[in-house]
Amino acid sequence: MKKRIWSWRVTAGFGVLFAVALVVGVSVGPIPLPFAGVVQTLFGGGHALSSVDQAVLLQIRLPRVILAGLVGAALATSGAVYQTVFRNPLADPYLLGVAAGAGLGATLAFVLGGSVLLGATGVALVPVFAFVGALAAVAVTFLVAGARRSDPRTLLLAGVAVGSFATAAQTYLFQSHTQILRTVYSWILGQLVAADWSTVAWTAGYLVLALGVLFVIARRLDGLLLSDEEAHSLGLKPARLRAVAIAAATLATATAVAAGGLIGFVGLVIPHLIRGLLHRATNRSLPAIALAGGAFLIFADLGARTLLSPAELPIGVITAFVGAPFFLWILRRGGRP
Amino acid sequence: MIRASEVSVRLGGRLVLSDISLSVGAGEWLAVLGPNGSGKTTLLRALLGYLRHSGSVGAPANIAYVPQRPEIPAGMTVVEYVSLGRARLEGWGRESERGRSLISQVLDRLELGAMAGRFVTDLSGGEMQRAAVARAIVQEPQVLLLDEPTSALDPQHRVSLLQEVDRLRAQGVAVISAMHDITLAAKFADSALLLNAGTTALAGETTQVICDPAFVETFGGGFKIAFVDGLPVSLPLK
Repeated sequence: MKKRIWSWRVTAGFGVLFAVALVVGVSVGPIPLPFAGVVQTLFGGGHALSSVDQAVLLQIRLPRVILAGLVGAALATSGAVYQTVFRNPLADPYLLGVAAGAGLGATLAFVLGGSVLLGATGVALVPVFAFVGALAAVAVTFLVAGARRSDPRTLLLAGVAVGSFATAAQTYLFQSHTQILRTVYSWILGQLVAADWSTVAWTAGYLVLALGVLFVIARRLDGLLLSDEEAHSLGLKPARLRAVAIAAATLATATAVAAGGLIGFVGLVIPHLIRGLLHRATNRSLPAIALAGGAFLIFADLGARTLLSPAELPIGVITAFVGAPFFLWILRRGGRP
Repeated sequence: MIRASEVSVRLGGRLVLSDISLSVGAGEWLAVLGPNGSGKTTLLRALLGYLRHSGSVGAPANIAYVPQRPEIPAGMTVVEYVSLGRARLEGWGRESERGRSLISQVLDRLELGAMAGRFVTDLSGGEMQRAAVARAIVQEPQVLLLDEPTSALDPQHRVSLLQEVDRLRAQGVAVISAMHDITLAAKFADSALLLNAGTTALAGETTQVICDPAFVETFGGGFKIAFVDGLPVSLPLK
């Protein structure tokens, strides 16, 4: 028995997968772009594409694909972290009601109007509103579900109720403010369609903070899989660590929701798939989970763009097609990866 | 090694532990005995430094703790689970050649070697309890706190697990274990502390504590103490 717990090669492997997804994602679409030209333009700095193709690549496809990658990474990582801190293999930003809470917060930002959306510093404040909504949702779900030892299904049912309430409140808000109806609807269906470099910039900014914190504390998070007394005996301060982890995961979720709308199941499918594939529960896999989540959402977005082309499917439809059966399968297996 | 002086604990406004004092030196084993709800687990958690308490506890930093019902993390293999015990010495998520070799030895000694790659969720209650003790052993603690470590084990594994703990004690680890089995307590522990409703009912050499008439009274009677091969056993009166 000399099995290593983790190898950096695994993370590197998922890095390659992410890069492949990126190149395929920007190359395929109504105007197909040649792989070689795309690779040379992206990584070599050459001018292998025509000026039209280059504009399609740099102004339309690339921001959208990068945004999909960021949102996927955020959702997958926060799902993995929720599963650890709640010791619940079925936890997911969508199922815990966190995403719906973020949606309510973001809608409130739309209601309050443009000055809020672009703050004094020019940084979009939608994620901040989404963050407050998401934190409130996760707090209520957690308090209603009681102790962390409670049945995993109790937490999920509480999440479903909190999510329904937040969605109802959100619907009330935008129905009573018809001027934002269009904006909110297009946002609910997924904002990736309207992705531009400024959206990419603020999404990346918030996510560098949230995912940065989570990657730094990732290894210690394994201690939260034990009882608090055991974690304490291993030198951790479990309550503080849990609070930091939940705050960072919720910021990641809120940012993902603010940037991409409500996209379900990524936080459930990807961590289970990666941990099951590697036969490891350790949170050293968080960067690999983030990269795999990014790649998954890039491919899902590709499906959303091309399956009914020229019409587009909401990306949440694709993730639900994959994720809902997967969730039922995990449920049947009692939460095992 | 570990010393407690007049330790009291309040939980939810209720005094659940009152003025407990004890001292366990390196290479000594103290059994904490007492009826259900007498405060054994609370005492261990206070000694660990996890519960807020009055009085003082003097203990080294590296204390391992095995709860009565360990948390069973989904999707974690036995070897991953046991490896968590190395975190204090090697840093979280880090591994050393020495650590890996120790983990391998401890898993083999506790008959878990063949299950190293299995998920802990697939273990039986007794196997999980052994895995939790293995995790505590690879922590190489100076003090080992065990909360009824043999409650889920069959007779053979009860003895083999406590022999493993005894090996640590012989290497200088101070052991404090909450126990219900008086025969095993007398066989392994040098001294015993009998708790009753959060207070010290008796303290002293293990067999003396168990043979004291106050011992049976503390549990409300219904059994007597007899000796087989020099070790105490409890026999029902009816």
